[in-house]
Amino acid sequence: MKIKLVLFIVFNIIFNYNYVYSKNNNLDLHKQISKNIRCIVCQGQSIDESNSDFAINIKNLISAKLEEGLNEEEIYQFLKSRYGEWIVYKPELNINNFILWILPYALFIAGGFYIFTKLIKKKKKININRY
Amino acid sequence: MILGQIGFLLLVSSLIFSIYLIYLIYFNYKSVSDIISIKIYTFTFLQLITILFSFFFLIFSFVNSDFSLVSVYQNSHTTKPLFYKISGTWGNHEGSLLLWLLVLSLFSFFFLIQSRNDLKKYRLLTILFQNLIIIGFLVFIIKTSNPFLSLYPVPLEGLGLNPILQDPALAIHPPILYLGYVGSSIVFSSALAAMIEKYVNKIWASSIKIWIMISWIFLTIGIMLGSFWAYYELGWGGFWFWDPVENVSLMPWLTLTALLHSIIILEKRETFHSWTLILAIISFTLSMNGTFLVRSGILNSIHTFANDPARGLYILIFLSILAFFSLIIFYLFQPEKKETTRFFLFSRETSILINNWFMIFFLVVVLIGTIYPLILEILNNSKISVGPPFFNILIIPFLIPFLIFMSIGPRMNWINTENKSIIKKKLLHLLVIIIIFSPMFFYFDKKNILSLSIFILGIFLLLSLLNELKEFFIKSKIRNISKIISHLGFAILIISISLNNIFSIEIDTNLKVGDSYKFKKYELVFQNISGKVEKNYNSVIGKFILKDIKNDIIYLNPEIRIYENPPMITSEASIKNNFFYDNYITMSNIQGGEYYNIRFQKKFMMLWIWISALVMAFGGLLRVFKK
Repeated sequence: MKIKLVLFIVFNIIFNYNYVYSKNNNLDLHKQISKNIRCIVCQGQSIDESNSDFAINIKNLISAKLEEGLNEEEIYQFLKSRYGEWIVYKPELNINNFILWILPYALFIAGGFYIFTKLIKKKKKININRY
Repeated sequence: MILGQIGFLLLVSSLIFSIYLIYLIYFNYKSVSDIISIKIYTFTFLQLITILFSFFFLIFSFVNSDFSLVSVYQNSHTTKPLFYKISGTWGNHEGSLLLWLLVLSLFSFFFLIQSRNDLKKYRLLTILFQNLIIIGFLVFIIKTSNPFLSLYPVPLEGLGLNPILQDPALAIHPPILYLGYVGSSIVFSSALAAMIEKYVNKIWASSIKIWIMISWIFLTIGIMLGSFWAYYELGWGGFWFWDPVENVSLMPWLTLTALLHSIIILEKRETFHSWTLILAIISFTLSMNGTFLVRSGILNSIHTFANDPARGLYILIFLSILAFFSLIIFYLFQPEKKETTRFFLFSRETSILINNWFMIFFLVVVLIGTIYPLILEILNNSKISVGPPFFNILIIPFLIPFLIFMSIGPRMNWINTENKSIIKKKLLHLLVIIIIFSPMFFYFDKKNILSLSIFILGIFLLLSLLNELKEFFIKSKIRNISKIISHLGFAILIISISLNNIFSIEIDTNLKVGDSYKFKKYELVFQNISGKVEKNYNSVIGKFILKDIKNDIIYLNPEIRIYENPPMITSEASIKNNFFYDNYITMSNIQGGEYYNIRFQKKFMMLWIWISALVMAFGGLLRVFKK
């Protein structure tokens, strides 16, 4: 009962909070794109975080391209063709980066497989011992 | 000048003591007596004292602005406040390595004193491995990174410390992080020693657990301080950027967390010997990796690697030797498999294994994301950036099962949970929580679905833990209170981050004095600017007013600081917070105009992110003091 009460209160707080902030508070597309573009003249910053000339130029470029009607992916492609793959923070899935994207999942599956086969074996052994 | 020479001589004598110690250990190991010879205590103490004094002399040189030393000249300045002169000692490559060494010998000494109840041969071997690491570092410092290197003619003024490093949080961040990193060296050495001495058992597990806990606590606080610094100093308003420098500190934290869990199985159930040993070895290798990668500058770009080939090469060789020999020791002395350990699917053992499974997955993601670009550049000269999108895509979805397991797992019994009703009850709770919160999914934008799911599971975890707390205090059932508190910290962290993600607002605009900017239910007014002169910088301070619909007013005063030594312009954020959100504003000048670039953010639950890390560390601290 108490848990439900607490939940009710939490729930309400969150909803009321949401009235203060309006519904569409997400970063707009421009911001989202800028956050994924490396400022190649800075040290480890995205162009969103930088005020360097380079960052400002690219931000303007993104605005222009958005007005031209390009979508997010097309803008990334455009920037990549101009500045190299390095400029985008999300490496694409290609032959070069195959290991990067696949290895973590592969190891996760292998690890899980190992753990559970081991457990199931153990279970069988225990059953045998019981009889 | 003279202090510097003494400092260097002290380092050399410390190297001699360390080598002599190895000789002493060898004979003591062979002798039949059960006690460690008093000479070993004496020389371990001498080793510590010489390094300590050498470090003090370096601090004195920094305080006195003794520019005859290259490291002081390059990193200090006479006009710098005393506090930052001191912290400048470890704000550079050479000094920070000396600090590392100091902590290493300090822990080595403490281990010798604290482990009196353990086997003699095991203790000796642990000290032996510690000394091999110490010697490795001493040679590295003396040969390639000597902080006492002198300069002639003596310059009149130093180059100064990078202003963004002149900050209280960052002054204490490296020492605390190092305590965490180096603490894992004891875990590493003792794991190797225990393996050789066939001492990997309950007794070893419970005696080494405290060292794992200590380094985990320091690492937790160290990472949090670094993140806190990045939040208010870098002026971007984020607290985690998946920057390589952050990633390398997260990696040993992940393995130490895994180790903290697996050591419990070893202690309680005498199983998973080999796995626990592997984690111990990996943790320290990653810690060392972290310090070296950050300090050698390899991470920012491969090209800085070439700036000082000697350092990079030494690092690489030392690390490889260490990793290679620990693998050989592991291969030769690996504990034999015993068939006595049995457990069922629904058991505490399984849930701890699942924890380790996920921890290793997170580790692999962070590791590969950090080093893959480096490897790729060497292999086929193509440059890629692995940034936040990669880490978010791989890690966040996996948090969903992780949080469910984390809520249910600790309720399992050892060996087998006969009474499955607890699991059913938990799943029912989860269902109720999902139903209660499900309207939120329709209410928010699609982009927030993942954050919302994480939030809901965070609440599920929080409630399970509160339930356990209730059982502890009201029904006075025996529960591991330090575990509950640390897990509670993690639940708060998860909830805060997900809410922060959903509710934060960010505004980026250009304003001049007198302008105002309306957004949502707020109005931001740029009132005026004023100048100020400080000891080591000049600053321009903007005065802003933030009004909301209820006409509540908040004053914000961001600064632009102009440092002269070294010349640099920084933006200082102005942060006004309350319990639930931070108002965060930075301004920066735009060249050739009266306009300023204003970045305003309302960050939800920020304070709780810091609190949660402290709560996690506090839980660990309770366990240390309970012992």
